Amino acid sequence: MQFSFIEALGEILSGSGFAALADDPRSLIMILISFVLLYLGIGKKFEPLLLIPIAFGMLLANFPITGLLNAPTATSSPGMLWVFYQGVEHAIYPSIIFLGIGAMTDFGPLIARPSSLLLGAAAQLGIFAAFLLALALGFPGAVAAAIGIIGGADGPTAILVASRLARDYLPAIAIAAYSYMALIPMIQPPLMRLLTTKEEREIKMEQLRPVSKIEKIVFPIAVATVVILLIPDTAPLIGMLMLGNLLRECGVTERLSDTAQNALCNIVTIFLGLSVGCKAVASTFLTWDTIKIIILGLIAFMFSTIGGLIFGKIMCKLTGGKVNPLIGSAGVSAVPMAARVSQVEGQKANPANFLLMHAMGPNVAGVIGSAVAAGFMLKVFGA
Amino acid sequence: MVQDPLSLIDALMVALSGFVIVFIMLALLWGIIAVVSRAVSGVEHRPAAAPAPAPMPAPAPAAPAAAAPAAAQPAPQVVLEGIDETQAACVMAIVSHETGIPLDQLVFKSIKAV
Repeated sequence: MQFSFIEALGEILSGSGFAALADDPRSLIMILISFVLLYLGIGKKFEPLLLIPIAFGMLLANFPITGLLNAPTATSSPGMLWVFYQGVEHAIYPSIIFLGIGAMTDFGPLIARPSSLLLGAAAQLGIFAAFLLALALGFPGAVAAAIGIIGGADGPTAILVASRLARDYLPAIAIAAYSYMALIPMIQPPLMRLLTTKEEREIKMEQLRPVSKIEKIVFPIAVATVVILLIPDTAPLIGMLMLGNLLRECGVTERLSDTAQNALCNIVTIFLGLSVGCKAVASTFLTWDTIKIIILGLIAFMFSTIGGLIFGKIMCKLTGGKVNPLIGSAGVSAVPMAARVSQVEGQKANPANFLLMHAMGPNVAGVIGSAVAAGFMLKVFGA
Repeated sequence: MVQDPLSLIDALMVALSGFVIVFIMLALLWGIIAVVSRAVSGVEHRPAAAPAPAPMPAPAPAAPAAAAPAAAQPAPQVVLEGIDETQAACVMAIVSHETGIPLDQLVFKSIKAV
């Protein structure tokens, strides 16, 4: 047998990913989309902590013949990304992210003004509006429910619900949720100005009362007990959110709180991003449904903002002008971005206006509200 | 719980009941927070009230100030240079927010415009 360098080179090339790419050019489109997402994450800083792992997961998953996504068989080991994905499949990553969010969140403003909870509830309007619109566009009920959760402006919740109810649509839903969260400073202000008068935006709110340490410790225990007993499907999210918050507030687990806020949350964010991105393969992503989901996500965010603002106006009227309706839009749970937008818009109307702490109440209430809405959808549409 | 395809009525019912349940749940939490706050406030004020009837011989002039509860004391004076109180409050809120340390655990000695 004679060795031929040219033949060997030809065999290497024909067995390479480049040759396989030519067999399915749609993978090439997905790779290009992953480049765009990487640009948005790195260049435009759109939620880079999650968008970059998602985009890179998408890139890896669309390289052909790598076997990264292969499920285990009797004769072969599973692919790396398949293993990572089990954390999404079994709702592990979103729950751990919620542990970190709980450890990072100060519920003090919410405890000081518990009426903020109603603003957090009103700002879930987008979930149900988008759910109805998704049904009207022909999505099945379970998928429509998962799409609607984008309106909760809460990435981990959207991922958890999508992984349970609409697995094929998980990447589109996650990308829509995180992209729009990054775009909140552009989506919300026009609606805020449209739906409120200048006099309303100028309202200065009274200082919040101080909240005692005992109240802060009892809060996560009470919320977990009541909410999980009433809607058990919220247990992964509310349970971990409140555990994280208890670690923060109890004062005797600083190391655990620090780990939950930083190291653990960062580690899981990498796995979560890669896992979500790796499900973005051409067969399920390059469809009209993805475009519809992106549009529905935007509508969901807008309706949630509108719901919060309208309820803010109602509270403004009911309290005789003591509540600035701008804090209502912070009820979408993108923490703390939405609260910052309320602060910025409030200060534009009245430079002496400081709404940040007032807006944090509805903002963290939105996290609980979207988890409750997710629990409801899982209850109604879950297998 | 529900089967596809959903009728219009079913879809509206799911959306409406979901929205109402979120409201009810958060309103319930409002009630719980209010009860807990009241209970905690009651517990925290009880020890303060108890020592009052205890015989307190005329203390030294400095003692009452030292024994006053921390919450009743004014915040330590912050030296402001080149900024007004409102701007200082904003800076404090931002520092608290960015560092994740509650305002009651931060001590500001001076804030200076640069």
